[in-house]
Amino acid sequence: MTSAARYIRAWWAEVVALWNQFWFRPADPATLCLVRICAGAMLVYTHLVWSLDLQAFFGDKSWLPRATLDALQVDSFSWTYLWWFGNSPVALWSVHLLALVVFALFTIGLFTRVTSILSAVATLAYIHRVPGALFGLDQINAMLAIYLAVGPSGAAYSVDHWLKRRAGNPAESPPLWTANLAIRLIQIHLCIIYLFAGTAKLTGPAWWDGTAMWMALGNMEYQSLDMTWLADWPRLINLMTHVTVYWEIFYCALIWPRVTRPVMLLLAIPLHMGIAICLGMVTFGLVMLIANLAFVPSEFVRAVIPPRRQGRAGDDERTAKQSALRSNRPSASPAKR
Amino acid sequence: MRSHDQNLSAPAPAAALPSRRVRAVVSVLVALHVFAVFVGPWALPPQNSELSASAARALRPYLEVFALANGYRFFAPEPGPSHLVRFEATLDDGTLETGTFPDKREHVPRLLYHRYFMLSEFASTLNNPNLPGDRGGAVARGYAEHLIAAHHAKTVRLFLRRHFVPRPEEVRRGMQLSDKALYQEQPLGVFTRDTP
Repeated sequence: MTSAARYIRAWWAEVVALWNQFWFRPADPATLCLVRICAGAMLVYTHLVWSLDLQAFFGDKSWLPRATLDALQVDSFSWTYLWWFGNSPVALWSVHLLALVVFALFTIGLFTRVTSILSAVATLAYIHRVPGALFGLDQINAMLAIYLAVGPSGAAYSVDHWLKRRAGNPAESPPLWTANLAIRLIQIHLCIIYLFAGTAKLTGPAWWDGTAMWMALGNMEYQSLDMTWLADWPRLINLMTHVTVYWEIFYCALIWPRVTRPVMLLLAIPLHMGIAICLGMVTFGLVMLIANLAFVPSEFVRAVIPPRRQGRAGDDERTAKQSALRSNRPSASPAKR
Repeated sequence: MRSHDQNLSAPAPAAALPSRRVRAVVSVLVALHVFAVFVGPWALPPQNSELSASAARALRPYLEVFALANGYRFFAPEPGPSHLVRFEATLDDGTLETGTFPDKREHVPRLLYHRYFMLSEFASTLNNPNLPGDRGGAVARGYAEHLIAAHHAKTVRLFLRRHFVPRPEEVRRGMQLSDKALYQEQPLGVFTRDTP
């Protein structure tokens, strides 16, 4: 074998090893499960708000009736079960309430394997029904719902886990490669979102001359906080504009290294909370921060939300004793990972 | 520079990984999915290439079913003027009912307001003669039919209001964001109860 062939073979072996480690290394599901709680709560709220005008958006005389969507989406693969229920308010409300129950169960982590999949299906169904009323919130909701259905999002911080412990199963969920896979998918998807959010802005002169943030903050329909005082601070507007663009463009690179990840995550907070507070998109700002949680190491999550707080004092010990009795083995204190 | 992830610095033993067959199948699915996630915004018109459009055509069922055909072009290319829809509904007895959406006082909480805001922006986006078919007309007809049913109206007239953002120097000179000079209006059509 020539040295060139040896080099290529070694390089390929390294690529395969890195790929395997990146996607398939078992990981503590703590981060994924924290994302489930936050994203599930957002799904509950998002769909609860639809309830305020359910018929207007999903009924047969809705803003976007079947005829309109047929004209807009020729040969579309978009599909939603909500078409079956639009003609009957009772049926529509029944299926809507069912969806709210599913989202609520998913949030608390009960029957999570099933409710996570149903949540993803329901989220997509609402999205496909009202394409004209959607914005970034719905795109991120769908992304998170799908990946949370892929991974074991009920393996920790969930009623499912609590029930397992009460039934005598191990107190801690083991590291799972599917947990890693789901988190990786959220991370990669988020990087692609920010990359295109940033590069698309490069085609707009206002993002270069530093006035774009004024155009957003001075927009009365978006504005939820009077920011017109910024008219006296043009360089501050410039700074906010430039930081937004560069942060979005470089996110996909700087979120990975150990040194820069905390900086990027910390910068995400003012950026998205600014959108939430000043531009009236609280839900969108929050859901972007929820997606950013995927980059928080599980060790950090466990440190902030320790496993022992999940149950009453003594639960771990009692569970361990029950396990020992079942398996006729001596009781042992559960090891804290 | 070290990666933040433990994966690359402390590799898991081979026994901890799923079987080779599972890895192979999942790897192919992951690669295809990540490619689709990339193609969604990459191929979104109007700024797309023939290559990206071809990829999007090939992946269209997948992109549409999983709602991946998004541009993620938040406030790009620039934050522009916003759009509202104003309507005049004439009832059978001749009474005129008027309204505008979105309306911050009527549409509460903010998320509901934003849904109505997106409806008016949707009407503006599709009210473009360069788009194939009469998409803007289809949307306006849908809105009008809803308003006719909701108000028991005989006729509905729709208008698209464009609200421009004043420049900072104009605000410094005392201009309000709601100044009438910042609005432009164009009719979207007149629709009657029996319009086919």
